Amino acid sequence: MTYKIQIDDLVRDATGDEAAIIEAGHAEAEARAEAEAAKLAARQAVLDKLGLTANEAAALLG
Amino acid sequence: MAIQTFTAAQVLTAAQMNALQANDYNQTVSTKTASYTLVAADKGTRVVMNSASATTITVNTSLFSAGDTLILQNISTGVCTVTAGTATVSSAGPLAIPQNGSGILYFTSAGVSIYYPSAVTTTSSALTLISATTVGTTVSSVAVSSAFSATYDNYKVVVIGGIMSDNTNLKLQLGATTTGYYAFVARGTVAGAADFTGDNNASSFARIGAGKTDGYYADINIGDPFATKQTKVESTYIPTNTGSSMGKVTGFINNTTSYTAFTIIPDGGTMTGGAIYVYGYAKS
Repeated sequence: MTYKIQIDDLVRDATGDEAAIIEAGHAEAEARAEAEAAKLAARQAVLDKLGLTANEAAALLG
Repeated sequence: MAIQTFTAAQVLTAAQMNALQANDYNQTVSTKTASYTLVAADKGTRVVMNSASATTITVNTSLFSAGDTLILQNISTGVCTVTAGTATVSSAGPLAIPQNGSGILYFTSAGVSIYYPSAVTTTSSALTLISATTVGTTVSSVAVSSAFSATYDNYKVVVIGGIMSDNTNLKLQLGATTTGYYAFVARGTVAGAADFTGDNNASSFARIGAGKTDGYYADINIGDPFATKQTKVESTYIPTNTGSSMGKVTGFINNTTSYTAFTIIPDGGTMTGGAIYVYGYAKS
């Protein structure tokens, strides 16, 4: 896939190395989003087990 | 000498001629030491305010005609303000004349005048626009070079407008640094559910802003990017989706590199349009 990068007012196609960096960044972002979703799901599972909402749990913790 | 009305058969004296000519080469001046209301005889002359207290020059209608011109001047410390009485006074600049300031009052009709200030009090701004970079079409990153210098210690970067191809966060990298980004992110949903996360020796500040298909936004403060100190960053990110978390980012880069440039990078997809504004905070 061709990516475009901008440096100040100049827009050009990314080189192969730059494209690889962009794709690595996208993969890293996807992994981060998945990790955060898993973390939230785990937290929700605990809350469900306790029968509490997130706000109630926050209130308990002060 | 104020303007004269000569009548038929009147003798024009040498003294009158010299006096009228003198106004062309050495304008008639009337000095006022208190607030003053212009009169018809002021046409074509220079009204000089000389008061340590604030004064006004009031402009009334039916005294002047289209094309009439006066010069208003202030030679003392009290600011003089050109004030509309029964005539209108328009201006593209301030109506206040500071000490050693002046301006031209020009009438377009008997009751309508325009004031053209030729000297005004300058005010220094706390924020100075350093650069405005228009974002191109479907770009995967935007680098802004020459953003930071010794002129300022602290900077504000506003990333706004345009569209994104995806709902995604915006990342910030300083210079060519791809490691050592540390940040705490406090965020929550509109339902009030709080959540905390962070960047722990990450390759960028990962949640410096956010955007979607109707625009993007980041409001970033950057401290000491040019100094050989750790760069400090504080930002607000607001994904405008009712279910998304929004929050504040506070962080630093764990090195003492001096930076002149930064790059804004969408987490995924591309940016189109909008702009990146860089401002410097005045030191004094």
